[in-house]
Amino acid sequence: MMSEVIVVTSGKGGVGKTTTTANLGTGLAAAGHKAVLVDADIGLRNLDVVLGLENRIVYDITNVTDKQIPYRKAIIKDKRYENLFLLPAAQTKDKTAVSPDQMKELCDDLRQEFEYVIIDCPAGIEQGFKNAIAGADRAIVVTTPEVSAVRDADRIIGLLEANELRDPKLIVNRLRYNMVKAGDMMSIDDILDILAVELLGVVPEDEMVVITTNRGETVVQDDKSRSGQAYRNIVRRMNGEQVPLMDLQEGGILKKLRKFMGMK
Amino acid sequence: MENSYKNQDRHSNGVEETAGDENTILIKRTLRSGQRLHYDGNVVVMGDVNPGAEIMASGNIIVMGQLRGVVHAGAGGNEKAIVMSFRLAPTQLRIANHITRPPDGDTQETDRPEIASIKNGVVTIELFNVSIDRQHR
Ligand SMILES: Nc1ncnc2c1ncn2[C@@H]1O[C@H](COP(=O)(O)OP(=O)(O)OP(=O)(O)O)[C@@H](O)[C@H]1O
Ligand SMILES: [Mg+2]
Repeated sequence: MMSEVIVVTSGKGGVGKTTTTANLGTGLAAAGHKAVLVDADIGLRNLDVVLGLENRIVYDITNVTDKQIPYRKAIIKDKRYENLFLLPAAQTKDKTAVSPDQMKELCDDLRQEFEYVIIDCPAGIEQGFKNAIAGADRAIVVTTPEVSAVRDADRIIGLLEANELRDPKLIVNRLRYNMVKAGDMMSIDDILDILAVELLGVVPEDEMVVITTNRGETVVQDDKSRSGQAYRNIVRRMNGEQVPLMDLQEGGILKKLRKFMGMK
Repeated sequence: MENSYKNQDRHSNGVEETAGDENTILIKRTLRSGQRLHYDGNVVVMGDVNPGAEIMASGNIIVMGQLRGVVHAGAGGNEKAIVMSFRLAPTQLRIANHITRPPDGDTQETDRPEIASIKNGVVTIELFNVSIDRQHR
């Protein structure tokens, strides 16, 4: 089976890693793929809440990495999708409770069973980040259109490259098209000009993200919302389809960066 | 994880060298935020130097891309050192003991190669062309 371990990371906190992980996982499951979401944000467990699965947690990732139980005992099946699973983080421990080697081993076990293993990375560049990327084949970097978030994304891309995780894909989250048009927010071009990586998708700022999250649902299931459409497009792109960016966010978005510069 | 190149141990044989005659390192990638390169010699980057990245070189620094980070050429005190970039927009630019930065609110961006050097004791930015280049030889 072809399987992929993907880490969702950002550097800066609060830009939408957990939201992205939940939506991509749900979207992939809805498209028929068997996926497991791993919450690597140990001590600040979130993914279970976003998916509305908190009350089902018995074991967590550290019970698995400490070899107290097999992973099958710890993973929780999603409420709606038969083929979507969550491996929750521990809430009462800290990032040092897991090591990069343990993570690698865990990812290699999971890839035997799942088509997609998606890891929700904690913010920062410390131990939690190192753990989260240890077993990954690829990385998705999430940023918002803010100078500080883009700067941190750049730092993260550098660290990923140094760890042999090349060609990460970028998701720009919380874009406000009107602000970009008024020149008050970085445009996609501005962001790509600095980061020079492949754009996987653009998710607009959308209150439906907050509304669905508060219900323990994911916006990707909501047919009417623009952010849901954006996530569905990203899922299709992950499966190799060519899907153009949504109309409202365009404006030379697909302009490729200067290939001749010897960049990756 | 810190991506900094250390000086390769190739010391000059006690001979005073001018900028341009030293070792040169070629970096075929973009230097990203948090990455630092210190080198005893000239540095050529085939890529960008992003904001938050830093290059310090005893010789010249040439960036064949966008330069938006911090650079220090002539770090040992060589006032003849230059910085050149296809798009020169550094956070801070230092040559020898001179420290400069773009004026606040300066959004002027050229799409042409520029060269920074010390002229009459001040760091001067000029469009790069061959005739100017000759003056630096
Ligand atoms: N496109 C969006 N539109 C509106 N709100 C959003 C959007 N994306 C995320 N949010 C909101 O932003 C907040 C932070 O999102 P999230 O928890 O996914 O970020 P994170 O990167 O995982 O944070 P942390 O670094 O703390 O783990 C949440 O309240 C979420 O609902
Ligand atoms: Mg999170």
